Amino acid sequence: MSLNRKSSRPARWLGRNWAFLFLLLEVAAFGLLGTNFFSPENLQNILVACLPVLLLAMGETFVIITGGIDLSVGFVMGFATVICAKFMLLLQAAGLPPGASIPLAALICLAIGLIPGLINGTLVARLKVPPFLATFGMYGIAYGFSEIISKNTPISGLPPIAGELGNEYFFYIVPGKTVSFLMKPQDLAPEQMRSMISVLPILVVIFFVFVAIFAFILRRTRFGQHTYAIGGSMDAAVRAGINVPVHLTWIYVISAFFASLSGVMYVLKYVTGRADAGSARMLDSVVAVVIGGASLYGGTGTVKGTIIGALIIATLETGMVNLLIPSHNRYIAIGVILVLAVLIDQFFPELVGRGE
Amino acid sequence: MDNRGGAAKVLTFLGERWAVIFLLLLLAGFGLAERNFFAFKNFSNILYYATIYALLAAGETFVIITGGIDLSLGFVMGFASVSSSIVMRDMHAAGRPEAACLLVGAAVGLTLGVIPGLINGVLVARLRVPPFIATLGTYGVANGMALYLSNGFPITFLPPRAQKIGNSFLAYLLPGKGFTFFHRPEGLKSKELRSLIGIVPGTVLVTAVVLLVFAFLLNRTRFGQHTYAIGGSKDAAIRSGINVPSHLLRIYILSSLFAAIAGVLYVFRSGIGNFTTMSASYELFAVAAVVIGGASLMGGKGGIGGTMIGILILMTLENGLNIAGIPTFSRYIATGLILIAAVVIDQLTPERKAGGA
Repeated sequence: MSLNRKSSRPARWLGRNWAFLFLLLEVAAFGLLGTNFFSPENLQNILVACLPVLLLAMGETFVIITGGIDLSVGFVMGFATVICAKFMLLLQAAGLPPGASIPLAALICLAIGLIPGLINGTLVARLKVPPFLATFGMYGIAYGFSEIISKNTPISGLPPIAGELGNEYFFYIVPGKTVSFLMKPQDLAPEQMRSMISVLPILVVIFFVFVAIFAFILRRTRFGQHTYAIGGSMDAAVRAGINVPVHLTWIYVISAFFASLSGVMYVLKYVTGRADAGSARMLDSVVAVVIGGASLYGGTGTVKGTIIGALIIATLETGMVNLLIPSHNRYIAIGVILVLAVLIDQFFPELVGRGE
Repeated sequence: MDNRGGAAKVLTFLGERWAVIFLLLLLAGFGLAERNFFAFKNFSNILYYATIYALLAAGETFVIITGGIDLSLGFVMGFASVSSSIVMRDMHAAGRPEAACLLVGAAVGLTLGVIPGLINGVLVARLRVPPFIATLGTYGVANGMALYLSNGFPITFLPPRAQKIGNSFLAYLLPGKGFTFFHRPEGLKSKELRSLIGIVPGTVLVTAVVLLVFAFLLNRTRFGQHTYAIGGSKDAAIRSGINVPSHLLRIYILSSLFAAIAGVLYVFRSGIGNFTTMSASYELFAVAAVVIGGASLMGGKGGIGGTMIGILILMTLENGLNIAGIPTFSRYIATGLILIAAVVIDQLTPERKAGGA
């Protein structure tokens, strides 16, 4: 490529770490322009906002490392919210207490949510359908089913405890008074209420556990090694004795699993299920992975990079709310960031493979 | 592969023509199952709703033949629709003559609608960004621009003439009385008005003309030949002296132009300007139609005719399911299934020649 000229060390360093620097700049800019951007509450809001993107992007990371793509994640997430909400209603109607119906509905949803992944995986791995088209088909199928199941209206009437779980924090600290665990302290004066600091959103803790587990799988296990190997060269992987079809099927199941997790998270946070819950998120998930340094040709990408990508998007979202900018402008910014990320990779071709 | 059996030949024949056969079966099936399916008005309806999808799919055909993909189509359409209707609304509010409002509005929509294509083309052809990523970027940007301009609400208060033009027919037939061209016969009683039959919706006519022109461009001109050549083998195209970057640039501009035409058509048909919702999935229907029409994402294959068969399959299915009272959203499921089936059938069909195109 004509762009392949020797670059100096600072340029190379910049190319390798631009995503992290961009995140810092973004935080600094919003911190200067916004009000109370650095408050503990707002910083934790960024973590919560990053969850749906991060969860979808986790699955997408595995898929993109193998050289594939999963376009269906957004609508599989919507499908999962609908299934999860529907089962919460059904189990509630069957007389189960919320303590049982909520986790049970979540488990059922996670199980059913694997089906789209299994189909995607079978199509890609066994029937040799290009990933782009297989998951594009699933994109329509999942959306159609969720609109039909939800009868084209958001599902409401869920147990309110679901929302408490989704919006509570682990600790509440009132300066100079008490630290309470899980429950908001009762009988506070409005003044104390205002000075109360909430620490550690429950959702963030629950779902980062999954992110950590799969980060470990990708980095430290044979499964992870094989994932990179398949993306590096499918032929070499076959010759090295990796059972590529089985492995690829797993990869797409993992992607659907994370999409379903994201759906469960959505139901806990917003106490509703809707078919279009994740329709805007497919773009976000691909952007997060690409910002994180993965190449669409496969073989590269890390969870660390994906987390930085998801944080960039979440910071943008939270910062725009903070500055009262209409949220739909985010699409412009995210589209531009995506193209910039790819251009930076083009201009520093020797960096393909960074992080691994 | 020369001494193939008769069975393989039959399979190849079926595999290459399954789309046409499927369309015929679909028509026959719905025709037998539903009394009103074969009504003249119903076919007119299918075509009326097919226009926008047909235009988007035609643009996608050019891109896919070169081995690329354009995911931004649906949102470029929304962007063109919003920008042209804002101009129409504001000029109308300023008291300009309606014809001027409509002409200038349409021109602005078409002009601005081409810009995303220009950006896509520069990214893909000059900066070598993979088409999937480049057009996913403009998908976001065009969507954001449409929402920014419209503030998330449909644009209303357009000149009323827009909708009148958009819903006119080539000819009106009044049974037992005669027919008129372009304009409704005046001074009709309400009973007569009900029996008035419109023949060939104006939007269908416009779409058909556009499609014919571009089918000619693809099949009969050097531009079309080069398009196939680039999709067949980019290296060979470069070596045979085709200016690939500038050709690709024009392909992506063309694709956006189709989307912009669809957007302006939408304004004329509905009398409002609207952004595209994230779950409308126009890009799914466009890609599905092109793939059903026999194109391969590897490039080098496909055509406007095949794509139109794909569109007719999808729209007939939607119409038939609608008449049968099956929920509208089942069309997303059906489209996804047919898209996947099309690829699998293509995969399983024995090739006519080894490595054939």
